[in-house]
Amino acid sequence: MTVHTGQCLCGQVRFTVTAEPSGARACWCRDCQRIASGSATVNVLFAEEAVVYSGAISTLRMTADSGNTVERGFCPECGAQLYSKTVEPSGMPMRVRAGTLDDPELIAPSSLIWVSSAPSWACLDPGLPHHGRGPDSPLVEAG
Amino acid sequence: MPAPYHGRCNCGAVTLSIEAEPVWVRQCWCRQCQRIAGGSATSNALVMTDKLATRGEIHWWEYEAQSGNVIGQGFCPNCGTHLLGRNSARSIACVVRLGVLDEAAELAPTSIIWTDEAPAWALLDPALERFARQPPAPGTAT
Repeated sequence: MTVHTGQCLCGQVRFTVTAEPSGARACWCRDCQRIASGSATVNVLFAEEAVVYSGAISTLRMTADSGNTVERGFCPECGAQLYSKTVEPSGMPMRVRAGTLDDPELIAPSSLIWVSSAPSWACLDPGLPHHGRGPDSPLVEAG
Repeated sequence: MPAPYHGRCNCGAVTLSIEAEPVWVRQCWCRQCQRIAGGSATSNALVMTDKLATRGEIHWWEYEAQSGNVIGQGFCPNCGTHLLGRNSARSIACVVRLGVLDEAAELAPTSIIWTDEAPAWALLDPALERFARQPPAPGTAT
């Protein structure tokens, strides 16, 4: 099996993934816009046990717009955002930030979520499904 | 809505305000920006530092770019939200990351830089001016 690798901007944190992604999506929730310096985060979904990090990681638990408790990890040195995982409810795939993968083209996002909070200037791919809120929320018309 | 603009990080430990219109607003797809911004381009408003006020601790990480310029990335040490970026080539100004600004700011990018490094799946707004790499500084002969 191919081992996927990645790192933060300064290289203090590195990781390996011994699994293929189960999907990828872009998230326009308001928290993600802050995390992503204005755009959506692009998240690659992996089984949590397949992702192994080394180096110091700062984490913060917050209640996301979904109401779920999520833990977000970032490098304390360079601030690169590394991942988000849902603590409650359990069993959801881990979201690895695509920018930290050594190959950000590993998989293209196949859906957009939380488009209801995207800024008016956001360029949303009309060819992808647009969810108004989380991935299980109803689809909305591509604008 | 015109200036002033206000913003904060995700946890609220850092807040900022800008009291003048930005010099420019643009997106950057350089590989370094993708690493800090969750996989997308960063979206940045250039403001004069004397028009910018911040409250709360900002952690700075600096590196030397290929150009030789020293780039600084400023983020909240508690939640990791990136707020500011600075470049030794323009010491009187810095960029504010658009995501931290309140919705009412309504600032929108007008150009996209470093498109050469955007992933194949990136969707670039066809209405915006594009630069394959770093655009020339204002006033530079081209």
